[in-house]
Amino acid sequence: MAYVLQQLLSASAKRYPEKPVVCARGKALTYRELDEHSNQLAQLLLARGLKKGDRVGLYFPKSVESLAAMFGVLKAGGVYVPLDPQAPAERIGYIIGNCQIKVLITTGDRLHALDSAALRSLEFSILLGAAGNGSFERDLPWAALSEYPSTELAVQNVTTDLAYILYTSGSTGRPKGVMLTHQNALTFVQWCADTFRVTAEDNLSNHAPLHFDLSVFDVYNSVEAGATLHMVTDDLALFPASLANFIRDRQISIWYSVPSALVLLLLHGNLRAENLPRLRIVLFAGEVFAMKYLRQLAELLPQVELYNLYGPTETNVCTYHRVDRDRLHGMTSLPIGQACANTEVFAVDENDQIVAAGSGKEGELHVRGPAVTPGYWADAEKTNKACLPNRFQPHFEEKMYRTGDIVTLSADGDYYYVGRRDSMVKSRGYRIELGEIEAALLSHPGVREAAALAIPDEEVGSRLKAIVAPHSAGTLSAKELQQHCATRIPKYMIPEQIELRDTLPKTSTGKVDRIQLSRTQPQPV
Amino acid sequence: MTEQVENVNVKDQIREFVREAAQRKGVSEVTDDQSLVESGVIDSLGIFRLVAFLEESFRVRIGDEEIVGENFESIAGIERFVLNKLNR
Repeated sequence: MAYVLQQLLSASAKRYPEKPVVCARGKALTYRELDEHSNQLAQLLLARGLKKGDRVGLYFPKSVESLAAMFGVLKAGGVYVPLDPQAPAERIGYIIGNCQIKVLITTGDRLHALDSAALRSLEFSILLGAAGNGSFERDLPWAALSEYPSTELAVQNVTTDLAYILYTSGSTGRPKGVMLTHQNALTFVQWCADTFRVTAEDNLSNHAPLHFDLSVFDVYNSVEAGATLHMVTDDLALFPASLANFIRDRQISIWYSVPSALVLLLLHGNLRAENLPRLRIVLFAGEVFAMKYLRQLAELLPQVELYNLYGPTETNVCTYHRVDRDRLHGMTSLPIGQACANTEVFAVDENDQIVAAGSGKEGELHVRGPAVTPGYWADAEKTNKACLPNRFQPHFEEKMYRTGDIVTLSADGDYYYVGRRDSMVKSRGYRIELGEIEAALLSHPGVREAAALAIPDEEVGSRLKAIVAPHSAGTLSAKELQQHCATRIPKYMIPEQIELRDTLPKTSTGKVDRIQLSRTQPQPV
Repeated sequence: MTEQVENVNVKDQIREFVREAAQRKGVSEVTDDQSLVESGVIDSLGIFRLVAFLEESFRVRIGDEEIVGENFESIAGIERFVLNKLNR
């Protein structure tokens, strides 16, 4: 039994050395090659002084090298931090400083776009592709791996060591790093392996970016099973017809993505069941799947098992629901379902009581078990707010995670998502704190007040809008503010629409009244 | 002569639309041959806005099967695609 993630690769490399493990951008690696490349990277990192627990940033578009980098860092005892290759340099610089990244694996142009002040913690970089002009003397090309031995390294880690840190939107204007251990990931991977019966015959897709936790299933369950992972790169993801052909041509058998990607495929991909004979499972997570589209998908792909997976990055998937086609027609909303194996969930109501099944009461969903994060990197305050002592279990000390999601529990034991306790929203599956958008807007010197809103949308979850009051009228344009936002927050967080007003409505406590603002927005059709 | 004028017009309109979209994403410069996907100028919502704009401005009908990377890789690529449709 694997107790650290890299053991999944070592085991499959012995069983399936010549099988392809990953394909992307016209390149493929076999299990043997991935094992060897990641060993070489680990040897390089150790030779250059990487210590157990040191952070290594992965900052490049996803490719077969992404897997070699992830496993190489783990084999060296390090912690990898996947960084959004499209995010603004300022935000990446913040993350590098926040978790003190020592080594950055990136491309020359990305490295040079980073502010040198942000790179103080950095000891060296490994550059993929053309190094570009003026790479630092201490930097190495990726090809330098070949100079290191490909022999396997003894495992130095224990299961509760950190494996990776995923940065997610933070309400106070800066992203926060969710720390995940080997045990956290393996709890989920083990459950998936059992539930979805992934085998060496499967072809998995990888639609999600690697800084998004949906990719944990794609990568580690492929490797665990000896299956092949087919990465969906941006040039495919944007074009539903190309994506539908990709699913057909790669004979994808298990697909996992946010619902909005499936809606695009459904509406514009011309999906046909007869073209997809190998497709057996479709998993979706990250946001609510509009029932009307889910019904269409269920009808279009009658042979495919559909699963709604639910869980924040802090726990990965913690509940699931297998779609029952017979019940689908009468349903108004899809349950998030029941707890995964080796995970316990419960809802706590406003009187601090655990919500009973069928009571109709609402409560905040809490999670306990080995899947739960130890907390946020270098942020004890946020960690203590989210990871609390479990007062419902008096026998020994343990933590439980407060999800912030309000749910109900039906008589038959299924949880249903109702809404959020705070102002976190989802758009195309991305988790977005409206406060982070507001902080980006307020950092513009001309902005006096700003409120970000999420307008519900069946296709993409929600669309982002902002209402801004400038210091002096007529001095700001929506476009200028969008450009300003682009220097601080990722593109998917930039409001599509920015309305300028003289003032914003306030609550009795003097805060911007988001509810009143939302109420005055046109309703979606 | 008239056709040449029309071609210039097509490219200008596409360029203006794409540059406007790019600026809203914080991308200040877009050359005619630059990849719109790699630079993040176009996302999954943007592509359908662009298609709607092309259909409306040039009175062409764009099928789902035509919304592929080859036709939308760059400003120059989109122009070739539209002119091809207009001249058909």
